[in-house]
Amino acid sequence: MNPAGNEKIDQRFNAIYKEAEKRRNEFRDAPVPKIHIGMATCGIASGALETKKAFEEALDEYNIEARIHTVGCLGHCYAEPVVVIDHPDSGFPPIFYHEVNAGKAKMLTKLFLKEGDPRFEHVYGAMEENDLIPWVMEFARFNREKRVVMEKCGYIDPEDIYDYIAAGGYSTLVKALKLSPDEIIKEVQNSGLRGRGGAGFPTGRKWELAKNTGEQEKIVICNADEGDPGAYMDRTILESNPHQVIEGMAICAYAVGAKKAIIYVRAEYPLAVTIVTKAIRQARELGLLGESVLGSSFDLEIDVFRGSGAFVCGEETALIRSIEGYRGMPRHRPPYPVQKGLWNKPTVINNVKTLASVPPILDHGADWYREIGTQNTPGTAIFSVVGNVVHAGLVEIPMGVSLRTLIFDICGGIPNNKKFKAVQIGGPSGGCLNEDFLDTPIDFDSLTEAGAMMGSGGMVVMDEDTCMVEVSRYFLDFTQNESCGKCTFCRIGTYHLLKILERLTRGEGEDGDIELLETLSKDIKAGSLCGLGKTAPNPVLTSIKYFREEYEAHIYEKRCPALMCRPMIAFYFDLDLCARGCDACATACPVEAVFTTSNRKKGVDQELCVKCGECMVVCPPEYDAVRKVSPPHLVPHIEKPPEKKKED
Amino acid sequence: MNDELTPEEKEALKDVASKLGSFEKQRGNLIPILQMVQEKLSYLPTQAIKVVSEHLEIFESEVYGVATFYNQFRFHPPGKHPIKVCLGTACHVRGGGIILENFERKLGIHYGQTTPDREFSIEKVACVGCCALAPVAIIDETVHGHMAPSKVEGLLMRIEIEKEMEERARIKDESCG
Amino acid sequence: MPKFLVDNKEIEAKQGTTLLKACLDNEIYIPNLCYLEGIDPPSVSCRMCFVEIEGERQPVTSCSVLVKDDMVVKTDTPAVRQLQRTGLRLLLSVHHVDCKNCQANKKCELQRMAKFLKVGLKPKGLERHLREIEIDRSHPFLDYYPNRCVLCGKCVHVCREKNGQSALTFSKRGFDTVISFYGVRDLSTLECENCSACIDICPVGALALKVTGAEDPTTA
Repeated sequence: MNPAGNEKIDQRFNAIYKEAEKRRNEFRDAPVPKIHIGMATCGIASGALETKKAFEEALDEYNIEARIHTVGCLGHCYAEPVVVIDHPDSGFPPIFYHEVNAGKAKMLTKLFLKEGDPRFEHVYGAMEENDLIPWVMEFARFNREKRVVMEKCGYIDPEDIYDYIAAGGYSTLVKALKLSPDEIIKEVQNSGLRGRGGAGFPTGRKWELAKNTGEQEKIVICNADEGDPGAYMDRTILESNPHQVIEGMAICAYAVGAKKAIIYVRAEYPLAVTIVTKAIRQARELGLLGESVLGSSFDLEIDVFRGSGAFVCGEETALIRSIEGYRGMPRHRPPYPVQKGLWNKPTVINNVKTLASVPPILDHGADWYREIGTQNTPGTAIFSVVGNVVHAGLVEIPMGVSLRTLIFDICGGIPNNKKFKAVQIGGPSGGCLNEDFLDTPIDFDSLTEAGAMMGSGGMVVMDEDTCMVEVSRYFLDFTQNESCGKCTFCRIGTYHLLKILERLTRGEGEDGDIELLETLSKDIKAGSLCGLGKTAPNPVLTSIKYFREEYEAHIYEKRCPALMCRPMIAFYFDLDLCARGCDACATACPVEAVFTTSNRKKGVDQELCVKCGECMVVCPPEYDAVRKVSPPHLVPHIEKPPEKKKED
Repeated sequence: MNDELTPEEKEALKDVASKLGSFEKQRGNLIPILQMVQEKLSYLPTQAIKVVSEHLEIFESEVYGVATFYNQFRFHPPGKHPIKVCLGTACHVRGGGIILENFERKLGIHYGQTTPDREFSIEKVACVGCCALAPVAIIDETVHGHMAPSKVEGLLMRIEIEKEMEERARIKDESCG
Repeated sequence: MPKFLVDNKEIEAKQGTTLLKACLDNEIYIPNLCYLEGIDPPSVSCRMCFVEIEGERQPVTSCSVLVKDDMVVKTDTPAVRQLQRTGLRLLLSVHHVDCKNCQANKKCELQRMAKFLKVGLKPKGLERHLREIEIDRSHPFLDYYPNRCVLCGKCVHVCREKNGQSALTFSKRGFDTVISFYGVRDLSTLECENCSACIDICPVGALALKVTGAEDPTTA
């Protein structure tokens, strides 16, 4: 790029930045309170729309002037809907409130915004250091995180490009356009960035391969076909800060020499599709995309392609087939997409997190990035930590942090005084690890070594009440259902695995099943065509390896040690504890399986019972009379009085 | 497959045919076109598959082969109140399967089916991203978090009552008007 | 022309030939179902044609490898046989074994592989899972037997070769995948009546001409 050209780019961008700054200052300096509401899918599902409406109505009702700022997701799903209220006149710092429903919104408007009382009992923490309210950064859930990819998520309005620009956005694209493609690729290579889609391939190397193909036309694809059940960080990033992904894509396209890019988003993510589409339009309007980006000689068009609900399309060759309009069946590699990809053009396919890592890397430099994380895997990892854990949600941590730190320190450990049993990492392709692995540092290599994998970053924490055979069955049910059906081992092999596991969880296991599961699993791993089949047996193999005694109990004793597999358990009421005349369980029972004994206590009709456990949930804690046993024949016999004739 | 289209569906199909013009005759447009058709008709009737195949000049079998590959596409009309039960990992661990069973039992249909009166249909869905609210069910467009078996009946009853009230209001309107 | 060793036998083949084809041409049998010259890229889906190549950690499919000078290939190692036997057992576990009533009897690739790999046609250990529909009679001239089909896709390919596009297609997904003739009744341009390419190519007798005069309401 020539100096005159560089000057032109700077000029163009400075004008945009000035406007962004002006808007930000105008918002920031307005002498009214600001209400920031998290409005990503999880927030909306928790009622953020009602919360917003309640604020608007209350502001009207009490005649208060305030600004509502809709932002993305902070990743604190356990606390949704999340609201931050910045009320400078009150003398308090900006305050983080959690679980703000419509009622709380109205109350806070009246008591805090109008009368200046922040209602300490509802305060979660302050967003700034101060003397009055604990700063959120004093909590492990905040201060043990290291935000690189999600740095701006939850702070900016994803639907307003100026919000991103005022926060420093797109300045790295400007920087990149003034560098040569080789310089960018070198910087990305030096940073050690590895693909965050699961496999961990060096990103800079992939870009270099694509750049050096010598083909004229190249394509960049952002893979947002996030299909793992329980992983939703890609969606959150697209919904909370789409421009960082777009900026990363633009830098990638410039570096490899592509003029066309596609974001492949799951159709199940309608809000992400809407927000990304809008973001692309805004970027084009400002000349950050389209012909001659910021007046340079670089052109880039980005389109959104909506996936149609096939997990296997997360596999890059299947993804390509589906964009081309075919059944999304993977094909043999090589050739790799960087050689022969979409429409046979060299294609770089990167995950959302990978691309969103690029702007911070170019901004702060490769050395800065290398200092985060471990030697082999620099940078951060984003996990969606769900299941039996107190502070569920998205957590971005440096690579190398131990599972124990993540689960117990950052996410608050296991709720209800239960014991930790296992953690399933990497979704359906990952593995179940037991307690012995809690001190394993998290990075690509150590997880793979343990038999799990980084995968997309789904992490399910399981307590003692979770049955590992049932969990394996669940994951196999998923992968079997999502197998594309092309190759023999995955199509038929996973079906057999599932059928065997189903038998085990029904109490119909036979001697030799464990060995059969193991042999089949190994052959499926070695024989399958694509990553889906090659990894599908991982949950089975790891759970057999670390929880073999549970499989044995299912097969040889017809007993589910975790009391989870419903055909193998039964409920009854401890008559010494059951309160005479209490009807809580009978009312809650969905199938009228609870009957009243002759002395007005309760019994369970085992024939009718569907073992949903609702009686156990509703039984008042002061009685705590519901018992669960396995195998079912351990249930004591409780006489059912003869049915009264119905009076007509 | 029910071959007869309702009058509304026939209208929607005409609309689909006119919208097809805006899609170039490229194979790569097949999936976006099918998505558009389903948005208009809420499923892919045989008639629509024919229209699409004619537009793209490919065999119907090709269209059908692609459409049946993807979870998103339906070949039967969904109920007026679609019920989606999330069976993502978090929901599963917290008993999503039991919630699904309760809906199936109360409505007397299995997932993937529609009640004979076309009022309800049940679907299993993969993670809807509300893991902290698990287990989750979506009725119409509303997400219901922290579902319990005992809540199922209440939710269905609420819809029945609303329907009845609308019906009454309609009759009242008619008799007044 | 590359020269290389297969099971200690020296072989020569033209540059660009797949290893599987080179072996088959030289009378070294490697079990296979989905390979067909002209399908490009090869579908590599049946997962039967495994071989071991010196320098590779695991067995690889020979249909996806091109011959190279000085390659050292083994077609009958324990690892190769393990995968092939499991693959065949899996295929047979969803196959309605009823050879004497099947048109492919004695020329069936499954029979050939079973004999070669010494696997019984009714293998022990795996439960049998058959589909509910025994015969799909929706095509005016053809019948399709899902419980015989191995989903190799050769029929789809030959039909496309002959007609520009294929009247046969894979439909559904995963375990439920079948070959479908959806909408075929309207394809008056197709000359299925005088063409039996798909039947001829099928390695297992999953496609057959409708028996004329058979009691079948759909042919009436």
